[in-house]
Amino acid sequence: MAGRSEFSASARGVSNCSTQSYLCRGDSHVFPSSPVLKARINEMDWQGQKHAEMLMQIFLVFSAVAAFGAGYLMHDFRLMMLIYAGGVVLTALVTVPNWPYFNRHPLKWLDPSEAEKHPKPQVSNITSSSSSKKKASKNK
Amino acid sequence: MHSFGYRANAVLTFGVTMLALMCFLASLSDTFTVPTTSAEVKILNINWFQKQANGNDEVSLTLNVSADLSTLFTWNTKQVFVFVAAEYETPQNALNQVSLWDGIIPSKEHAKFWIHTTNKYRFVDQGSNLKGKDFNLTLHWHIMPKTGKMFADKIVMTGYRLPEEYR
Repeated sequence: MAGRSEFSASARGVSNCSTQSYLCRGDSHVFPSSPVLKARINEMDWQGQKHAEMLMQIFLVFSAVAAFGAGYLMHDFRLMMLIYAGGVVLTALVTVPNWPYFNRHPLKWLDPSEAEKHPKPQVSNITSSSSSKKKASKNK
Repeated sequence: MHSFGYRANAVLTFGVTMLALMCFLASLSDTFTVPTTSAEVKILNINWFQKQANGNDEVSLTLNVSADLSTLFTWNTKQVFVFVAAEYETPQNALNQVSLWDGIIPSKEHAKFWIHTTNKYRFVDQGSNLKGKDFNLTLHWHIMPKTGKMFADKIVMTGYRLPEEYR
């Protein structure tokens, strides 16, 4: 599984993760089997986030339309509010927790040994910051 | 949609926006009803008609107000506020409106009503212009919605006259 390779990188003690997620902690090698606990461990991947947002919009618009239709036809304002409240709760249950369904396309982080071969370029801050200070004083 | 908190906030915000849209549509649906109402106010008795110590005329009436306002109630109506006002003209004021009685109708079942009462609020003029005065009695109503715009309308009943002399 894709999840296990990410955890094994952190278990080797090399922390090259650019996020502050649980992947970088040493204790994240415990991989639970229950979906509810899985939902709390990882952040959603990008595809999952987009999917969650789309689901949220569809569910809420559909809840609003269904609630208004039912309330208008039954001449009952309270019914409209109850159906809509139920729809909001359902939407929150489906889209807010980080279900495994939203983690089907995780990003493959670069292998640590590969990352060492391509070091980050060093930005020289000294000359650029002094020239920007001169420019600021001229403008004043 | 990056974190739990972000998604929870997004659901709530979009949810409230949809709620506002639903309430707007519910209010809009009120404009499509065409109500038919009827009302009648009878003055059963003029109890007394005096000039007060401060120079203002005052009159006490016994009224019988009967009305059928049931078509005003829609699914978006919380209650209907109803009041009876006496309207007349004086040399000082082009229009005087004095509220004589009001009530709240909480539901459609109570909307067809009949009440026999003295005026709830005092019918006092600004001055001494009421002797032999012709006046209208209007039944006003304000339809208070659950959400949205409040509509108000009235029925004017003409032909009432106060006595020529104090009693």
